[in-house]
Amino acid sequence: MARSKSARQQQLEELALAPVEWLDERSGVVQGSKWFLFRKVPRDVSWAQTLGSATLTAFIVQLVTGVVLAMYYKPDPAAAYDSILAITNDLTWGWLARGMHRWGASVFIILLFFHMGRVFIYGAYKYPRELNWLVGVIILLLSLAEGFTGYLLPWDQTAYWATVVGININATAPIAGPFIADFLKGGAEIGGETLARFYSLHMLLIPGGLIALITLHMYLVTRLGVASPPWSKEAAGRERVEVETRKRGLVEPRRRKSVSRKDQT
Amino acid sequence: MSTKEQRDDFTRYKRDVKKEGKRFFPYAVFHDTVMSLFVVAVIIGLAALWFFTSGEEAGDAGILGPRYQSEADPAAIQFVPRPDWYFFFLFYLLRIFKWPESVILGTIGIPTIALILLMVVPFIDRRRERRLLRRPVAMVASVLVIASLGILTYKGATAKEGAAGAEDAIPEWIVDGNLVENAEVVLSTDPDAAALDADPGDAETLIEEGAELLVQAGCLNCHVYRNVGAQNLGAPDLTEEGSRERGLEWQIGHLKDPPAFSGGSLMPSFATLTDDQLLSLAVFLESSRGN
Amino acid sequence: MTDNSEHPDEGRAWLSPSLAPLAFAAGLILVLIGLVTDYIVFGVGIAIAVVAGFIWVYNSSRDVREAPEPEVADEATVEPAPAARAPAQSAQRYSRGALLTGATIGLGGVIGVAVTVPILGFAVAPVFIDQGEDDVDLGPIGNFPEGQYVIANFDYKRVNNEVEAPSVARRTAYIRNNGFVDELPSFTILSNRCVHLGCPVQPAGPTGDASDVDGLSVTLVPVQPANFSCPCHGGAYDTEGNRTAGPPVRALDRYQFKIVNGNLVLAGRFSVSEVDGQGSEAKIKAYKLYPPGTHVDGPDQWMTPLVS
Repeated sequence: MARSKSARQQQLEELALAPVEWLDERSGVVQGSKWFLFRKVPRDVSWAQTLGSATLTAFIVQLVTGVVLAMYYKPDPAAAYDSILAITNDLTWGWLARGMHRWGASVFIILLFFHMGRVFIYGAYKYPRELNWLVGVIILLLSLAEGFTGYLLPWDQTAYWATVVGININATAPIAGPFIADFLKGGAEIGGETLARFYSLHMLLIPGGLIALITLHMYLVTRLGVASPPWSKEAAGRERVEVETRKRGLVEPRRRKSVSRKDQT
Repeated sequence: MSTKEQRDDFTRYKRDVKKEGKRFFPYAVFHDTVMSLFVVAVIIGLAALWFFTSGEEAGDAGILGPRYQSEADPAAIQFVPRPDWYFFFLFYLLRIFKWPESVILGTIGIPTIALILLMVVPFIDRRRERRLLRRPVAMVASVLVIASLGILTYKGATAKEGAAGAEDAIPEWIVDGNLVENAEVVLSTDPDAAALDADPGDAETLIEEGAELLVQAGCLNCHVYRNVGAQNLGAPDLTEEGSRERGLEWQIGHLKDPPAFSGGSLMPSFATLTDDQLLSLAVFLESSRGN
Repeated sequence: MTDNSEHPDEGRAWLSPSLAPLAFAAGLILVLIGLVTDYIVFGVGIAIAVVAGFIWVYNSSRDVREAPEPEVADEATVEPAPAARAPAQSAQRYSRGALLTGATIGLGGVIGVAVTVPILGFAVAPVFIDQGEDDVDLGPIGNFPEGQYVIANFDYKRVNNEVEAPSVARRTAYIRNNGFVDELPSFTILSNRCVHLGCPVQPAGPTGDASDVDGLSVTLVPVQPANFSCPCHGGAYDTEGNRTAGPPVRALDRYQFKIVNGNLVLAGRFSVSEVDGQGSEAKIKAYKLYPPGTHVDGPDQWMTPLVS
């Protein structure tokens, strides 16, 4: 392919890219995408750092399957169980959507813990990434709450009684406990109001919070950079020492080579 | 350690990345995509496995459990709830703290403390050192946390479920444990059998009655029998109770007044049962010698 | 497209320049209405639309048809800049900026409160409203033999006596008729929800046959419990509901009851710290209903000072 483009080719390209240009001039979206996609990461970043995006993938699976399930699920105690039966047994691919949502939740939580452990072991919560760690902990909490609220929705025996115990655990908290439990129950008894509340929390409040926090989390990672594995020989940020290699003659200047010192950070 | 050093570190990091780093797209994104593909494949695989090995009946479980239980019944007596597996560690924590005053430790205390510790990790550890072998506290902490989470989750997963469905297992118990033959032997050889008006010919009736009582009288709320029941308050497994050769009189006396026969026992007294019921239970227990 | 301008030259426009497009639109509306109603309206609409459209085009093309005129800058009417708006702010007590900032924040606060308080109140109100419990008719006292426990299955909130089971309102209680005390009937009515964390508590004893009470959706099953035990975490209670072993923090909750026309009727629930004595002689230390896991007396009561 010729390096320089003919005038005609250039014209065609400009035409094709015109909508993107239009968008970018008004919103900066192309610039933002380039900043995210084409940033540099340390060269020793490898499979261990894929856990974060794997968690994000699991979350997106949950979002998509959740939206689809919500089209058929009925959050009323008289109809919830039957709607779950219908989704699982009768509707086309309903079993797949429900199964993916249910097992996607487990995979999401496992990956969350793995990701958290990996970050801890790599010491990637240290300066300047402390804020990101805090955001991550809050994401963990919200995800557990999401799992708890979602567990009630099928309205079968397991769902009902596990929620009874879960809400009563909250009731044992000092001072505010009984009020927290009443708030979750939507009254004095676990019933239709509880189901509706949990549905609202599970569908709207917690996913909204999760999306916001995950966006913040990813922004911080992009801005602050990915940390190198601490034991890597090529870690970005390692200290360097100027070491003389070999003596050259009078004519050539001495070449100095940078190596990493023994105690690198 | 001073913040200037931290800032210099970070400046050096940024310079290194700019000079030697690789572009996120396509190098790192490739790894991410492969991993994400794997994750999605696992999710779909689990969903398919779960669905195709289970049945339409409520509670009909396959390799990965049933599709659903029966509909929620707030008036149920016989259901033992379990949370989703990622809460098993909290669930088992509740079983550890059995004294009324300590309940709040298991429900709120320990989880809250753990959460606070998790949040303040970057503020407690301000050293620049990131290599794990030179961070002994972090190393010990991560080993402890992983081990305890793993153990608590495992114990929560294997904690016995309770007596739901035990009634249906009674015929299997009788066959697998040779209970009727064992009962005939017990009734003929036990020194107290005659005094209790028990005849080897009644073996079958006594065994059936005893098994039903075991299930109905709530014994399986604390004891385990042939992998059914709950383990609570230190109650022993009764599957091979007969092998302990305690004798019919001991069994009946123990049922009436457990602490007198088994020191420190938290078992309540079953003296309200009739003599016939006590006899059938005793014969059942004495005949249970495993397989 | 020229809008309302004051130039006297505009007398050549056939209509005021903004009227033509309006008339065109009106014509189109009449066309659409006419398609639905009758053809006369349709025809009138077309006529108006055509005429107005022609005038509109004629007006807007005037600039093209006529020779361009040099723009006359008659900007003499520009107002003199309010240059003399000297910074007299020091002479005033509140500058305009500060007033506007304060007003914005204040009004913003009002809006915030107006939106949040009622909405949050809607979400949180059930916590503070004392939700009453309906009375439950369990049928004639004769169904409850003296000295024996009966498992009663009933609807706790009923609508027209027609509630399908299993419904959200179904509950179970363990009821024992204790005979009479000073000519008043005495019942021990225990709730089956464990006071540790709410699991269903089971009676440890053989059960008899179930029977339904006529006309009410109530099921009764006789039982001879040696005690009540909870399989979840090993809680155990004696036949009065006192805790004997395990993590429960108090005795089982009980129901209040009354006798109406010879029927046993359940009223609200209450919590019990412990029970002295047995049967009809029992002394019950009663409190208002607490959630499971909450201590009602003793030193641990300080943890929930607001529930009283």
